[in-house]
Amino acid sequence: MGHQWGMVIDLDRCTGCEACVVACHAENNIATVGDKQAAGGRAKHWIRVERYYEGDFPDVRVKFMPVLCQQCDAAPCEPVCPTFASYHTDEGLNGQIYNRCIGTRYCANACPYNVRFFNFYNPVWEKPLNLQLNPDVSVREVGVMEKCTFCVQRIKAAEIKAEAEKRDVKDGEIQPACVQSCPTNAMVFGDLSDPNSQVSRMAASSRGNKLLDELGTRPKITYLQRDSWNGDENA
Amino acid sequence: MATKTPEQINEDLLRPLSVVSPRYFIALIFFLAVVIVAVSFFGRQIYDGLGVTGLNRPVFWAFYITNFVFWIGLSHAGTLISAILRLCNATWRRPVTRCAEVITVFSLSIGASFPIIHLGRPWLAFWLFPYPSERGIWPNIRSPLLWDFFAINTYLIGSVTFLLLPMLPDFALIRDRASGFRKRVYGFLALGWRGTPKQWHRLETAMHIMAIAIIPVAVSVHSIVSWDFAMAPVPMWHSTIFAPYFVAGAIFSGIAALIIAMAGLRKFLHLEEYLRPIHFENLGKLLLVMSLLWFYFVFSERLTGWYGNEKYEMSVFWLTQRGSFSPLFWAMVFCNFILPMPILAIKKLRTITGTVIASIAVVIGMWIERFLIIVPSLAHKYGSFSWGSYRPSWTEIIITAGTFAAMALLYMLFAKAVPIIAVWELKAGQSVEREHLETVLAASEAEAGAK
Amino acid sequence: MASVDSIYGLFADPRSADRGLKTLQSAGVPSQRILVMSPEPFEEYDFGRADRGTSMPWIAALGGLLGGVSGYALAWYTQIAYPSHIISGGMPVVSKWPSGIVTYELTMLGAIFATIVTLLITAKLLHWKFDIYDPEISYGKILIGVIDPAAESRVEFEDRLRDAGAEKVKGTGQFGTA
Repeated sequence: MGHQWGMVIDLDRCTGCEACVVACHAENNIATVGDKQAAGGRAKHWIRVERYYEGDFPDVRVKFMPVLCQQCDAAPCEPVCPTFASYHTDEGLNGQIYNRCIGTRYCANACPYNVRFFNFYNPVWEKPLNLQLNPDVSVREVGVMEKCTFCVQRIKAAEIKAEAEKRDVKDGEIQPACVQSCPTNAMVFGDLSDPNSQVSRMAASSRGNKLLDELGTRPKITYLQRDSWNGDENA
Repeated sequence: MATKTPEQINEDLLRPLSVVSPRYFIALIFFLAVVIVAVSFFGRQIYDGLGVTGLNRPVFWAFYITNFVFWIGLSHAGTLISAILRLCNATWRRPVTRCAEVITVFSLSIGASFPIIHLGRPWLAFWLFPYPSERGIWPNIRSPLLWDFFAINTYLIGSVTFLLLPMLPDFALIRDRASGFRKRVYGFLALGWRGTPKQWHRLETAMHIMAIAIIPVAVSVHSIVSWDFAMAPVPMWHSTIFAPYFVAGAIFSGIAALIIAMAGLRKFLHLEEYLRPIHFENLGKLLLVMSLLWFYFVFSERLTGWYGNEKYEMSVFWLTQRGSFSPLFWAMVFCNFILPMPILAIKKLRTITGTVIASIAVVIGMWIERFLIIVPSLAHKYGSFSWGSYRPSWTEIIITAGTFAAMALLYMLFAKAVPIIAVWELKAGQSVEREHLETVLAASEAEAGAK
Repeated sequence: MASVDSIYGLFADPRSADRGLKTLQSAGVPSQRILVMSPEPFEEYDFGRADRGTSMPWIAALGGLLGGVSGYALAWYTQIAYPSHIISGGMPVVSKWPSGIVTYELTMLGAIFATIVTLLITAKLLHWKFDIYDPEISYGKILIGVIDPAAESRVEFEDRLRDAGAEKVKGTGQFGTA
C-alpha cells in the first residue's frame, strides 16, 4: 500500500511560539544567513509562522499561521524544473534532488506559497555550531534550491524499521521535527491514505481548508480554521 | 543610387574592410574594457554565488531574466524582418537585410547567455542537453526552460545560416580582390563559390526555404520565452495573451534596434547613399504599426485584468498603476507609445533623426516593459506575508551594461570583417531594375514604331 | 589549375553575355559543356537560367519530417528513461501539447539542416580548388565559355565569343596563354 503523507495544522492551537522553526533548522541543517541577508529576504526557514493582524488598535488580534511546503499533489514547482530536480515521490512528497539542481529558481517562482529557498551563498556554520549538524541530512551548496521535506529522513527511518520488524508503520510513529516540537500539538502528521489515521480524521473536519485552494494545487496540508474568534474560546 | 556602377558599389561597400580610423580603435578598446569588467564581475558571481545580486525571496528573477527577454526580443529585428521582406520581395530590403540579420545573431547569442549567467550553478548548464549519462541526467521535456533551450538553439542555428549563406558570394568577391593572408581566409570562408548559375539558383532556393522556416521559428522563440512566465501560476503571468504580446513586443523592439544600428552604420561607415531616408521612413512606418499593436496588447491585458478584479492579480495591477512601480510603468507607456506615436505618425517628423529618437525611446521602453512583467508579479505573489521588493546590485547593472558593450563590440568587429550591406544582392537589385526599365523602354519603342 | 581545357570570354554586360551563350549554342556545344559564372544571379537573362531544377524543398520537407519524428522520440524516450511511475505536477511527463513544442522545434531544425546540406552538396560548395575560374568575375565580368573544345575549333570559338562582345577571350589547359 502506498503512503500519502499529509498534515493537519490547527490554527486554534497555534500560539506563534516558533518552536517549529527552531526545530526545523536544527533537524535539517538549515544554515542561518545573518541579519543583513535575512533583512534582504534571503533567510531560509523551511517553516515560518506568518502573522496577520486583524482589526484596529486597540482591538487588534494577531493570527498565526505556520506555513511550510504544502506537498501539493499538483505542484506547480515540479513540471517547470528542466532537470527533474523537483519531482514527485511515490509517497506524495515534493522531492528536491539537490545534486540535480542547477539553480534556475523557476520552481520558487512557480510556487504560490513561497516555500522554496535558495542558497545565495555557501552555507556556513560558525564553530561550534558545525558540531550539531544532523548526519542524516545532506547540506546544500551555493546555487541550489531547498525546501521542506516533511523530514523525509525520519519517514525513511520509520519505514525501514517497520519493514525490519515486518509490520506497517504505526499512526503517529513518524513525527517531523516541527510536529514533534509543537508545545500545543497544533500539528498532526500521518498517512492520508489510511482513513482511520488521526490526520485523515482531522482533515475531514468542517473547519478544514487548504491554503490557496482555488489554484488547484491540491495541497496535502489541511488548516483547521480558528473557531475561537467567533466568541467561543473553547471550541 | 541608380547612377552607381557595380564597381563603385564594390569599392564603397568594401572600403570599411580595409580602412581603420583611430576613432574606431578608441571605441573598440572602450567597449572591450566594459566587457572585460562585466566578465570579471560575472567571475566573482560564480565564485561567491548569486548573493552578489539583488535577488531575494520572492524576487528570484529580475535583471538577468529581463535582459534575457530583452535581447531575445531584439533578435527578432533581423532574421524575422529580413525573411518577411525577402518573401514579399520588397526591393527596398536589399541594403537592410544583412545588418538586420547580424543584430539577430549577436543579440540572440547575448540573450541566450543570460539563462546561464543567471543560474545558481552555471557550470552545470549543459545538463539541459539530452545526452546519455550513467547518472540518469536527462532533461524534463515539459519544462518551459527546456523549450527555450530547443527553440533558441534552432533559431540560432537557423539565423546564423541565414546570415552566412548570402555572405558566400561576398566572401568570394573579397577573396578575388584581396591578396596574401586575407585571400586565404576569405577564400576558405567562400567555401569555393564561383558564381555558376547552379550555385546562384541553389543559393536563392535555399534562402527561400530558410526564410519560410525561420519566420515560424522566430515566432515560436518568443512565444516560448513568454511561456516561461505564462506557465507559472503567478498573478499577471498566467495569461493566454502572453505569447502574441511578447512576439509583438519583440518585433517592436527589434525594428527599433535595427533603425539605431542602421543610423550608426550610415554615419560611421559613410553609407549615406545606400541607407537612405526611404529605408528609415519605411522602417519608421513599421515601427508605428508595432507601437499601435503593442499598445493594443497592453490595453487588452490591463482591461481584462481590471475587469476580472481577481484579488491577487489586482494587487500586482495596482502595484504597477499606482504603487512603487508606477513611475516605471508610465515611463514605459511614454517611451513606447506617447513619444514615438507623433514622431512616427507625422510625415515631417519621420526623418532619420526622428526615427532614431523614437527607436531609442522604444528600446528603453521595451527594456522597462520586460522588467515590469517580471518583478512586480514576483514581488506581490499571493500571501502578503511573503511580499518583497527588489533593488539591483552593481554586479547586475555592470553585467547588463557589459552586454550592451558586447553588442557594440561584436557589431563593430563584424562590420570590419564583412561588408555590412550584401554587395551582390544590392547589385542584383539594380540589375533587375535596369532590365525592367530596358524592357519597358523597348516595349514602348516598339509600340511607337508600330504606330 | 589548368587540368581542364577550356576557352572562355569575359563579358562586361549581361546582354552581350547572353549573345555569347547563344553563339556557343548555335555552334552546337551541348549545355553541359557550356560554362557560366557571374558576379550576380542575373536570373532575368538566359545564361542565368541554367540548372534550375532542384528538389531542395522536398528534401527540406523530408528533413523536417525526420526532425519531427526524432523530436517526438526524444519526448517519448523521456517517459521511458525514468521509472514509469514518475509524475510531476500531477501530470504525465509526456503528453500531446507540451511534447508538441520540442517536436516542432526539431522539425524546423531538421528542415534547416536538410536545406544546408542539400545546398552544400548540390551547389558543389566545399570544393576549394577550381579547375576553371577567373578573378575578374569579382570585378563585374561575366564568364561564358566552352569546356573541353576540340583543338582545331579554337579559333572559331574565340572569334564567336569576340563577335558576341567579349572583352577578353582566355583559355585554360592546352588553350592557356602559352
